[in-house]
Amino acid sequence: MGLISNGTTIFDNGSMASGFGSSLKFISKATASASASIEFTSGIDSTYKEYVFYFVNLHPANDAVQFQFNLSTDGGSTYAVTKTTTFFRARHREDDVVTSLDYKTANDLAQSTSDQILNDGLGNDNDQALSGSLTLFNPSSTTFVKHFISDINEIQDNDMSLRGFLAGYGNTTSAIDAVKFQMSSGNIDAGEILLFGVS
Amino acid sequence: MPRFKLVNGVQVQLTAEEEAARDAEEAAWTAGAFDRAIANLRAERDRKIAETDYHALSDNTMSAEMTTYRQALRDITNGLDTVEKVNNVTWPTKP
Repeated sequence: MGLISNGTTIFDNGSMASGFGSSLKFISKATASASASIEFTSGIDSTYKEYVFYFVNLHPANDAVQFQFNLSTDGGSTYAVTKTTTFFRARHREDDVVTSLDYKTANDLAQSTSDQILNDGLGNDNDQALSGSLTLFNPSSTTFVKHFISDINEIQDNDMSLRGFLAGYGNTTSAIDAVKFQMSSGNIDAGEILLFGVS
Repeated sequence: MPRFKLVNGVQVQLTAEEEAARDAEEAAWTAGAFDRAIANLRAERDRKIAETDYHALSDNTMSAEMTTYRQALRDITNGLDTVEKVNNVTWPTKP
């Protein structure tokens, strides 16, 4: 049995035709184990116009920490790309006392080379972690700035679901070729970061 | 205890220079703990006050309970001088 749409074969005898369902290309995976930082210094080049980092249950050693990243244009020798960003969040605490949707100025950057925060106060109880993604657009462009968008959810240290929405750009026309992730304090004790290219 | 970073999936020990830089980052982070906590609390307090601002419109008479509630929100930062106190604050109940 097959599936044909407007003359194009999508499924043929139970198998998906080539070119369908294969837009995410796995590049690499890093599994944290008491890691001070996690760096990707290879696999980010002109092969794809879009790269996605997936965070899976990142668990910090310290309580109430921020998960952050920075960009490099020199293969990871330095991580200090100038960035301008925006951040807003939705929160709901387990006891139902705190609910909010607000812009958080403390998490945005204005032409700063500092690390960019992706969350707010990640807890380190045994069952607390952060998951989500960061998309980096056309990092090898030498014409445009480097846009990125992140969407994460975490359990805050005070037992709250926090969804963090970040967007911004690295204000450089040099190619981005490395990305570093770390907690504001202490190690990343466990969890995975997977890197995919979007073809 | 030495720190390790994960570079392309490989554990690499931090250099002495990287250790010093990380120490400085962590010290700065620790020093700012109270400021971060109280800023978060104030943001939530301001949101809760704004939520009841319509009670203060000129064509409305605010109840004593609402007046007390809003004053308690304004006073919620009184005596808070540690992160622990900020994290354990008890919010007043909205009437």
